[in-house]
Amino acid sequence: MSLKSDYPSASDEQLVAWAKDGDTEAFEELIHRHRDKIYARAMIMMRNEGDAVDLSQEAWVKAWQRLRQFQGESSFATWMTRIVINLCLDQIRRQKRTRAESIEELEEESGGVERQMPVVENNPTEGLETEELRRRIDEAMGKLTDAHRTVLVLHEFDGLEYKEIAKRVGISIGTVMSRLFYARRRMATLLQSLKRERSE
Amino acid sequence: MKTTEFTLDLQAYVDGELDASHRAEVERVLASDAEARALVEGLRQLSELVRTHEPLARVPESREFYWSQIQRRIAAAEVAEGREARPASGALNWLRWLAPALGVAAVAVFVVLPRPSAETTTLASNGPVEDAVSMTFRSDADGVTIHWIN
Repeated sequence: MSLKSDYPSASDEQLVAWAKDGDTEAFEELIHRHRDKIYARAMIMMRNEGDAVDLSQEAWVKAWQRLRQFQGESSFATWMTRIVINLCLDQIRRQKRTRAESIEELEEESGGVERQMPVVENNPTEGLETEELRRRIDEAMGKLTDAHRTVLVLHEFDGLEYKEIAKRVGISIGTVMSRLFYARRRMATLLQSLKRERSE
Repeated sequence: MKTTEFTLDLQAYVDGELDASHRAEVERVLASDAEARALVEGLRQLSELVRTHEPLARVPESREFYWSQIQRRIAAAEVAEGREARPASGALNWLRWLAPALGVAAVAVFVVLPRPSAETTTLASNGPVEDAVSMTFRSDADGVTIHWIN
């Protein structure tokens, strides 16, 4: 039996156990703890506040429905992140069906990766405060296509291996590699132009 | 100029995706290729920079409002699941689809078969679909039968 006063100090594992028994207040505490992270991941992927709110809420609904399937193989936060990422991927696929691929993406697919990545100069963001740096990286990620950003997010933030990304996105490992390279090259270019802007 | 394959191998090396023999092969090249080393270093720096500065965002709604929206969606999903889960026997489903055909058949029967000699006959019946009602008007004098099916 749980007491409401226990919620803020209870571990995620304990809250999950209570929530599995139907305790909605325990579930709400889990949401409160992780909602910003889940929302932020949706925001990085979708680049749209409305979609991010909608998909993050949908992720919590799915989590509630599937809570009994969560056996603690990963942390609760990791499990939640996986749910929201899958919802974002589904949404991106749906949107992709209704719009043409960007010219940038087509250029990359036809151009290969022979063009070298601009060498990232020593600390291109030197002197920037951490928050400003996060904002600039977010801004640069917003300039990537959905396809490139998705691969970059799954690799850098979720730590997924190439084969896992390929499986989840439904592309070949070779495409994962070329998209990842292209995304990084573009990020490097954007961060360098950022440095130039600052020095002018 | 480096080939695409080798460039991607360098990236896979940075990402720890190469097996031992490929790794050793790349390291041999790196020992004598300054351009490849620069690329590897650039990839490492960028990866580190991005990984350690994951963009943050805050839900633009209060705790209470956000939770109330989720609660509503959970409740709606449960209601929807309940509707889907409600047993609908195969026979009833067939009747639902057969209703229009049965109506047409009934009309045909009334038109074709000889009617009693009453001046007018009005019929109202409930069909297999709850709200479906049919009415019949027949005038023997005029030799006309009219059917309404709603």
